[in-house]
Amino acid sequence: MTSTVQELHPHPVLEPGRTILELRGLEKRYPGTHALKPVNLAFKSGEIHAIVGENGAGKSTLIKLLTGVIPRTSGEVIWEGKPAALATPHEAMALGINAVHQEVVLCRHLTVAANMFLGEENSRFGILQQRAMVKEAQKIIDDLGFDLPAHVTLGDLTIGQQQLIAAARATVRGTKFLIFDEPTAYLTRKEADQLFTLIRRLKGEGVTIIYISHRMEEVFELADRVSVLRDGTLVGTRDIAETNDAELVKMMINRSIEQIYHKEHFTPGAAIIETKSLSGKGFENVSMTVRAGEIVGLYGLIGAGRSEFVTTVYGRHHKSAGQVFWEGKQVHINSEHNAIKLGMALAPESRRDQGLCLNLPVGLNLNLPIYKRISNNLLISAAQEKTQADRQIADLRIKTPTRHALASSLSGGNQQKIVIGKWLAHGAKLFIFDEPTVGVDVGTKAEIYRLFSALLSKGAGIILISSYLPEVYELADTLHVFRRGKLVATHGFRTADHEEILTQALAEKQEKPGGKI
Amino acid sequence: MSTEAIPAEKSKRNYNALFGLTLLALLVLLWVILSLATSSFASANNISNLLRQGSMIAILAVGQTFVIITGGIDLSVGAVVGFATVIAAMLINAGIPVFLAILITLLVGVAIGLFHGFGIVKMGLPPFIITLATLTSLRGIGLLMTNGNSISINNDAFQEFSRNSFLGVPNLFWMVILVGIPAYVFLHHSRWGRYLFSVGSNAEASRLSGVNVQRTIYMAYTLSGLCAAFVGVLLASRIGIGNPTQAEGWELQAIASSVIGGTSLFGAVGSVHGPLLGAFILATINNGANLLNVNAFWQRIITGVLIIVIVYFDGLRRRGGK
Repeated sequence: MTSTVQELHPHPVLEPGRTILELRGLEKRYPGTHALKPVNLAFKSGEIHAIVGENGAGKSTLIKLLTGVIPRTSGEVIWEGKPAALATPHEAMALGINAVHQEVVLCRHLTVAANMFLGEENSRFGILQQRAMVKEAQKIIDDLGFDLPAHVTLGDLTIGQQQLIAAARATVRGTKFLIFDEPTAYLTRKEADQLFTLIRRLKGEGVTIIYISHRMEEVFELADRVSVLRDGTLVGTRDIAETNDAELVKMMINRSIEQIYHKEHFTPGAAIIETKSLSGKGFENVSMTVRAGEIVGLYGLIGAGRSEFVTTVYGRHHKSAGQVFWEGKQVHINSEHNAIKLGMALAPESRRDQGLCLNLPVGLNLNLPIYKRISNNLLISAAQEKTQADRQIADLRIKTPTRHALASSLSGGNQQKIVIGKWLAHGAKLFIFDEPTVGVDVGTKAEIYRLFSALLSKGAGIILISSYLPEVYELADTLHVFRRGKLVATHGFRTADHEEILTQALAEKQEKPGGKI
Repeated sequence: MSTEAIPAEKSKRNYNALFGLTLLALLVLLWVILSLATSSFASANNISNLLRQGSMIAILAVGQTFVIITGGIDLSVGAVVGFATVIAAMLINAGIPVFLAILITLLVGVAIGLFHGFGIVKMGLPPFIITLATLTSLRGIGLLMTNGNSISINNDAFQEFSRNSFLGVPNLFWMVILVGIPAYVFLHHSRWGRYLFSVGSNAEASRLSGVNVQRTIYMAYTLSGLCAAFVGVLLASRIGIGNPTQAEGWELQAIASSVIGGTSLFGAVGSVHGPLLGAFILATINNGANLLNVNAFWQRIITGVLIIVIVYFDGLRRRGGK
């Protein structure tokens, strides 16, 4: 196996421990923002270097500078002893610097093989050697231990599988320096394990890995060293053996970890919604109740049917069997409009695809569900439109210059606040949050959790979907575990331990949970 | 994921207003230049003529803009205009009272728009395809109904309307105001207008926020069909005949006016005043070129170049403002 690996990876095995890339006073200013204050940092070959920090701390700026996407304001980058301009992405790639982004940036309509060799196609006399490329791609994929076919269209794979392909692609390009930007955000545990294996192998070959993640567990599982950014400043770098969760979090946010999961218990009131043996596309026979003042957590792997279940309850898809009761009365919800009228609110899984109108103003996004209320038969009340939007911006501390700024100009965490905030004025009784903290920094997470408490105190009920176990574990009053479209277990607040819940979610015995998720 | 800079963004509304002003400045500049360059441009007669020429495209462009904001396109409007002249001519010649004839013609436009909505929402056809299909088949239906002949309208009062003026301003231009003001209120001050933008930006997010996406799409195409049928009535009045081959290529002029007026073909960006100004800029160029004895073939080329230049600068500014 080792010999084939060396054939397949054209880059020479690098001498480990040597400084490959050094930042000297690297700095980036935008008009009005000091995105990255001068950073001095050296990366060694063969190390996995984690970079952590809140949204807006400067991580993306750093990546963009290193991959040649944006020009630096001042400072130097020394690559293998020589200054590098890194003026274009092409230059960075030519040096051997590559990045795997959180959102897959590949061609969804082409095959896996075509994507693997995109830009470096194997052709003879101008004719693509398609069969040879598929064969070669398959060999690489098999060798990495990914159970994926190379001839299928990329778009037919799950997001997680696409992410693995993106990572595999980076390995065949003579990469010496590989940046992973939150690669596991959309991965199942099994896929994440495969990715970690790949990362460790690259490390063994002397490749420098920059690993950016909000998940501390992954940092401790993978990294050799970790650097912390806060407000554009490099706060410090630690050997992973010499630090711990609490220290890193404190460095990141200047706040202790206990303050993040803010859990208040309320006495549950009457049932808001109840499903009886509800079945639909992607899930079957799910019965559950959500009462006023409680958080019902739905835990499971991505694709376990949780999102399908809630979107069906929300009227986006048709149910195939079962009943739904709203405040004790049976209801037939056949459109989102219907669900919203009853008093439901859904903050969907994907901000970009489902949650926001990105190229429209923040204010319009916030008011979208309530335009009917803030207009008479004909006209929108301009005053109400302003006060409503400004109130949510202030209450949720959404960082935006004005309500007229486009949603796309905000950071991920602030965008997520819009997705949630638009329902607050609507006055819903049941809030469904589908992965509300994916790609959101610790500080914003804490704010979102505090918001949950505020909603519960007003008598609302919450369905919280999360693939991040600590989140549902620390917050849910009732925790339902989903596996392959079925509700397989139910727990109370902290009545089961992580291990048990994980086993129930994974089920397949050979799929050992490798540490905490 | 973490986007550091929150650039100080100009407010969208201010931006729109600014772009509108730039277009207005361009239009005024053209007028000043043409007044100086030719003796006949600034004459009352020519200005009236210019307003008449631009009016019909302007109204089409407003309807078109509603559709483009939702991320769609309506290629059928030229054909609807031609078809509407036939319907109006036949109804009036059949002795039906003029106001009733107009009402029925407008309803035909509404029906065509609803059909487009049906094709897009229920049949899942791309807007380009369904409206392209209507474009060609409506011309065919019109030709069948008329046997390929023009129908002269035998009602002088009906034809008088488009030639007359009120307060010194051509009636046709009053019609632009009649359409433009409600259209402005609708697009910028009603929730349905907001929904047009939100659907054009992200239909799924709008749906999950409780916006009736299907109804919004029906509405956009219906309004476009209605505007086109209205223009058909005006055209029938102006030329005094019903002829299904009239208004050839007007859909492209309407789209061009809309785009010059700052509408983004990707959806979610647009206004009412922009397309109106765009239409009159195009009309001015044609009118001026005629007066300057510029070869008619050149006029087409100039229009094409102008579209590229204006949209390029608009795009530059949009990117720069980001």
